[in-house]
Amino acid sequence: MFDAFFVQQLVNGFSVGLVYALIAIGFTLIFGVLNVVNFAHGEVYMVGAYAGVVLITALAPPLVAVVLFVMAVGAVAGFGLERLAFKPFRRFQDEASLKSKAMREATLLSSLAVSIIVREVVEKVFGGAMRPVPFESQLTDPVQIGELSFSTGQFVIFGAAVAMFAGLQFLLYRTRIGLSIRAVANNPLGAKYVGIDTDRTIIATFVVGSVMGAVAGILVALYYGSVFPTMGFAPGVKAFVAMVMGGLSSIPGAVICAIFLGLAEAVATEFLAQGWSEMIAYGFLLLTLIFFPTGLFGGARDRV
Amino acid sequence: MSKRILPLALPLVVALAVLVLVPALLQASGSGYLFRVSITAMIFAILAASLNFITGVAGLLSLGHAAFYGIGAYAAALLATQHGVPFLLTIPLAGVAAAIGGVLVALPTMRLVSIYFAVATLGMGEIIHGTLLNWVDFTRGPMGIPAIPSFKVFGLDLSGNLGSYLVVAVVMLASLWVLHRLTHSYYGNALRALREDDQCADSMGIDVVRLKGEVFAIACFFAGVAGALWAHTTGYISPNDFRFGESILVLAMIVVGGLGSLPGAVIGAVLLIVLPEALRPVGDVRMIVVGCVMFFSILLLPKGLFGEVSALNLVRSSFGGGWKAGTARQSIGWR
Amino acid sequence: MTLSKTIRGVLAGVAAGAAVSMAALPALAQKTIALGYQAPLTGEMSQYGEVFRNSATLAVEQFNKSGKLPGATVVLKFEDSKNDAKEGVNIAKKFVDDPEIVGVLGDFSSTVSMAAAQVYAQAGLPQLSQTASHPDYVKISEWQFRNITTQAYEGPFVAKWALGEGKKKIAVIAIQNDWGQSVVSNFKDAVEKGGGQVTSVEFYNPGNRDFRTILTKVAREKPDAIYLGMFDEDGASLLQQRRQLNVQIPTYATSSLYSPKLIALAGPSSDGLKLSTTFAADSPEPVVKAYVDEYQSRYKAIPTMFAAQAYDATNIMLAAIAKVGPTVDRKTLRDALAQTAGFPGVTGETTFDPQTREPTKQLARMEIKGGQFALVK
Repeated sequence: MFDAFFVQQLVNGFSVGLVYALIAIGFTLIFGVLNVVNFAHGEVYMVGAYAGVVLITALAPPLVAVVLFVMAVGAVAGFGLERLAFKPFRRFQDEASLKSKAMREATLLSSLAVSIIVREVVEKVFGGAMRPVPFESQLTDPVQIGELSFSTGQFVIFGAAVAMFAGLQFLLYRTRIGLSIRAVANNPLGAKYVGIDTDRTIIATFVVGSVMGAVAGILVALYYGSVFPTMGFAPGVKAFVAMVMGGLSSIPGAVICAIFLGLAEAVATEFLAQGWSEMIAYGFLLLTLIFFPTGLFGGARDRV
Repeated sequence: MSKRILPLALPLVVALAVLVLVPALLQASGSGYLFRVSITAMIFAILAASLNFITGVAGLLSLGHAAFYGIGAYAAALLATQHGVPFLLTIPLAGVAAAIGGVLVALPTMRLVSIYFAVATLGMGEIIHGTLLNWVDFTRGPMGIPAIPSFKVFGLDLSGNLGSYLVVAVVMLASLWVLHRLTHSYYGNALRALREDDQCADSMGIDVVRLKGEVFAIACFFAGVAGALWAHTTGYISPNDFRFGESILVLAMIVVGGLGSLPGAVIGAVLLIVLPEALRPVGDVRMIVVGCVMFFSILLLPKGLFGEVSALNLVRSSFGGGWKAGTARQSIGWR
Repeated sequence: MTLSKTIRGVLAGVAAGAAVSMAALPALAQKTIALGYQAPLTGEMSQYGEVFRNSATLAVEQFNKSGKLPGATVVLKFEDSKNDAKEGVNIAKKFVDDPEIVGVLGDFSSTVSMAAAQVYAQAGLPQLSQTASHPDYVKISEWQFRNITTQAYEGPFVAKWALGEGKKKIAVIAIQNDWGQSVVSNFKDAVEKGGGQVTSVEFYNPGNRDFRTILTKVAREKPDAIYLGMFDEDGASLLQQRRQLNVQIPTYATSSLYSPKLIALAGPSSDGLKLSTTFAADSPEPVVKAYVDEYQSRYKAIPTMFAAQAYDATNIMLAAIAKVGPTVDRKTLRDALAQTAGFPGVTGETTFDPQTREPTKQLARMEIKGGQFALVK
């Protein structure tokens, strides 16, 4: 029996999962290299969305131009973020500092502080309220296929997720910079010894990761038809969860888990109140971690 | 000779300052506002000190601490409003409830390390918050619990500014003292070993799993105590007070203050509670300023305002004759 | 407390005496009476605090110009609560300490308002919230007032409307907070009493902006109508996703969705939404028109239902102050507030019940047609 409502729920869940996945890709890339949580990733996503909306409101250019502009903004944001919140803490290269927990928690907090500042500044400049995206540019038009309803945004987000994922795999496994990113992610000290410019590689990682975050931001904004200063927070937490479920360093793992989380939430809503169904996602997280303590697709545990 | 006096001097000075000097100054100012800010700062000092015990001393990054604070607050509120339990009992019972919650969280997450553990606590925190919010029959859900009685004992009304201050101050001093004793003892050394390298600690004969469970139970007990104080001093609680943001705020306190350092945790708590209040005159940009202060304090002092090394040195110089070479004391650690 | 009261009494006496003696030069002998206003001016709820501040500032300036209170000037003292109960309680203590403050407006959410209310109740400072709709809020003490209609009145109003249009099976979607709880319970009772049936009740956690799953679930039951209990931004997201999912079920809503923002955000998706309201920006009433024009020329925006609530709350407070005169203190202000009856505000007439201090107000029906709110007869 074909239950259209249930399949529709799967479609809904899949598109929510794709949103988480778009954020999780950049998140995981940065975590993989630096081994620290970048709390400001959700703000890069938000800044990308705002930059895109400002451009659309001012000039109404075609989507491709918007995306290119947002990519540039994301690159600048990533570069600035790395310089501000992460670079200063690499001045301590002695062994005691490298092993110190306090130092690792320090970058976590510096990115958190930067994210608070960015969010408050955006709120001051644009106001705390939701800002609408001009209707002509929104990707919210319904597309009816049989009994199922899709929207143009869902196709665009799906396409973007596939393109980003494929592009990143190409970048990581077929280019020189990808090779050095993987080398630094694997062993920063070793990478340094073989002559890789770790500083440059880390910046490149931040730029690539933030470009993806910013593009995710504008696409999701077009899909939902609005932007607001705290838009990066909730999906950012889910992306973080997806990354950990996937095993931290595995981008395909993070994507799969992100989509799984979206589906789990949607299907759970079918049987429970939405309030409880959000907790189903966290329940799955705990179950995953209990049975796979290093995530579904993670390697062996790393020794600090 | 001075070594005999010193072990008592520092705690006495702190206790006198907190119990006599500060309330005297506040009373002289006649400002209920300053009393209130001090009470909030002290509650968060307990909270920060308890998180410091998990994250700073034992090295388990917890992103769900607000949930245990919430369990404590709800336990105290429900006991006080529905069963009329006096606050002398609700405070320890709230601690016990939170500790039980902590053990239940710790049991399945024992095997997890580093960031996996952190995310598991985040998930647990969200589940507990969601339960407080959605289990309407038991917690009254988003309606919250109003009319929680303030401090009253044996007909003595402590609900005024000074009374509430003194109750919170005494509980805070007791909590900090217990956490201090636990941190600077053989037990604390075992915890630091766990933090630095749990596999190594395991091979040295330290029961890592049991220790993790105990640490969680102890820290959550004090988080629950802080929650009970919040419930009694505020009079109304709702799930909003125990969101993920509160966990992050407490984490920020201990990092700004200096991970692993008890004085650092207290300083961080006082700073991050007092600063937003002190900045009220600057208006809408105050949160930007708070963010900047956080950022620069981490940038310039990445090991915190009062880091662990300075804290250990302080403890050793003022209490721990045994840790210095060549002293006649028989014990090696500070008991 | 008594000492400061005596001092204040003396000061007030001196000021009043001065006012009389210098009647020829009123500008020289101005006493300052302060009202505290606590609202979220930063953080995720700052858009609401912002419109409260706009409306209240406007109301106080008009009041001071009008000369209704000779010999005294009213000033507003704003404090930012960030929608955080911790800060709300701190502010309450701060306002209580300030001898100039005779009354307090705010806070925004019931959570923060009620936490602060404990302080005001203990210290005896009248508090009037423009939006706190928690059923227990006014029960805290005799010092708490509000001018927002509670759901006990609005729920049956919409229920009667929907049932009258032949909608017997109704699904409810509401935010999971104290207000959403009262939306659901009151509406449900009224529908069932009227012979209808509530097919499903869906609560969602605050902060959720994806309603596709909830809408799909609700649509499965094939109700005759959907009733929404949420704020404008959530409502706009929901309406947009409803159009995208091609769910064509008539939708009713609470007055909280009355906001130009809703149409700006949801655009054509909002057409056909039916809602009750106490405030209509395009109302021909002169008092509303004057307010909307002034607000628009000053802040370049059409006031929302929340802005109008704050404007009325401030004016109710000011009217009570004017009734007592320049010697007003906290106790006399409370007593004057409690006697408020038939206050002609922009959200209709407000009367505080003498026993429960609950407001009673008039509601109107509205529908969105062609991107405009239009009153329905």
